[in-house]
Amino acid sequence: MSLFEVLQWIQSTRPATALRGSGLTYPIIMTGHLTGMGLFGGMIAITDARLLGFAMRKYPIADVVNQLRVWKRIGGVLTISCGLMIWASKAEFYYYNPYIWAKWSLLTLVGVHALVFRSVYSKPEALDAAPQVPVKAKVAAWLSLFLWLGLVTAGRLIGYWDVPDRLRPKY
Amino acid sequence: MMLLQYHIPYDPYHNPLNNNEWSFPLLEVIHIVGFAIAIGSIFMQDLRMMGMGWRKQLPSELRKDFAPWTLGGFVAVLLSGPLIWTSDPNMYINNPAFQFKMIALLVGLLYHYTIHRKVTMADSSARAVALVGVVSIALWVSVIASGIFIAFV
Repeated sequence: MSLFEVLQWIQSTRPATALRGSGLTYPIIMTGHLTGMGLFGGMIAITDARLLGFAMRKYPIADVVNQLRVWKRIGGVLTISCGLMIWASKAEFYYYNPYIWAKWSLLTLVGVHALVFRSVYSKPEALDAAPQVPVKAKVAAWLSLFLWLGLVTAGRLIGYWDVPDRLRPKY
Repeated sequence: MMLLQYHIPYDPYHNPLNNNEWSFPLLEVIHIVGFAIAIGSIFMQDLRMMGMGWRKQLPSELRKDFAPWTLGGFVAVLLSGPLIWTSDPNMYINNPAFQFKMIALLVGLLYHYTIHRKVTMADSSARAVALVGVVSIALWVSVIASGIFIAFV
C-alpha cells in the first residue's frame, strides 16, 4: 500500500466520512481545536516568556512550569486529537497540500525539541538555582515560540490551498 | 435567528485584503495568536478561581501579572478582527454567527473588566468564586465557537 492509498483508506473510514459530511460536528471539532489552542498556546507563550524573563519574574520558574504542566497536557491532547480528526476527514485531499507537510515537519521538530530540551522543562528547579537562566533554557524558549508560531501559520495556510482540478479525486 | 439586517454601501472589491494572497491569512494568524494569549491568560485566572491550578499564587497576583498579556492579546485581536471584517463587511453583518459573536465578545469584555476583575482582586475563598471562573470560560469559548461558525452557517 502506498502512502496515498493509506490516506485514501483513512478518509474512507466510516467516522472520517461521517465527519466530512456533517453539518454541525465539523465546526464543533474545529472549535475544540481552536479552544485547545487558546488554552494551550497561551500557556506555552507564558511559560516561554517566563524562561526569557519577560513575564512573572516575581515567581520562581518552577512555579510557572510545574503549575502549568497538567493544563498544557490537557490542552495538547484536546488540540491534537481534534486536529487529527479534521485531518482524517480529508486525508486524501491533504496529501497534495504543501502546508500540511510543513505542519507535519514542524510537529516532528516539536517532538525533537521536547527530547533535546527535556531537562529544561522537567527540572525547572535547577533553573531557579542557577545564578542566571542558562542559555540552553533561553534557546529552548525562543525555539518553542517560533515553532508554535510556525504551526499556527502552516495550519491556517492549509485552508487557503485547494486541490487543483487535475488532481481532484473523482468519486 | 438573524438579529439584524443591514447593508452598508461599500464594495470591498478593491480592498487590498481581497487582492493580495498573503494579507488575509496573516491577519488570521495574528487573530489566532492574539486570542490564544488573551484567552489563555484569562483561563489561568479562571482555573485559579476554580481551585484547579496556580494554587501557590493568589487570584489577584495572577490578575496583575497577566493583565498586560490579556490586554496585549485583546489589542492584537481587536486590530486584526475589524480588518478581517472589511474584506466582506455585509456578509459578516448579516451572518447570525457573527452577530452572536459580537454580542458574546461585548459581554465577555464587559464581564472581564467588571465582575471578573472585582472577584479576582478580592481573593475571596467563597465557593461562589468558582462560578465566576466557569462563566468566564463559557463566555470565551462561545466567542471562539461563534467565530468558527461564521464559515458554517
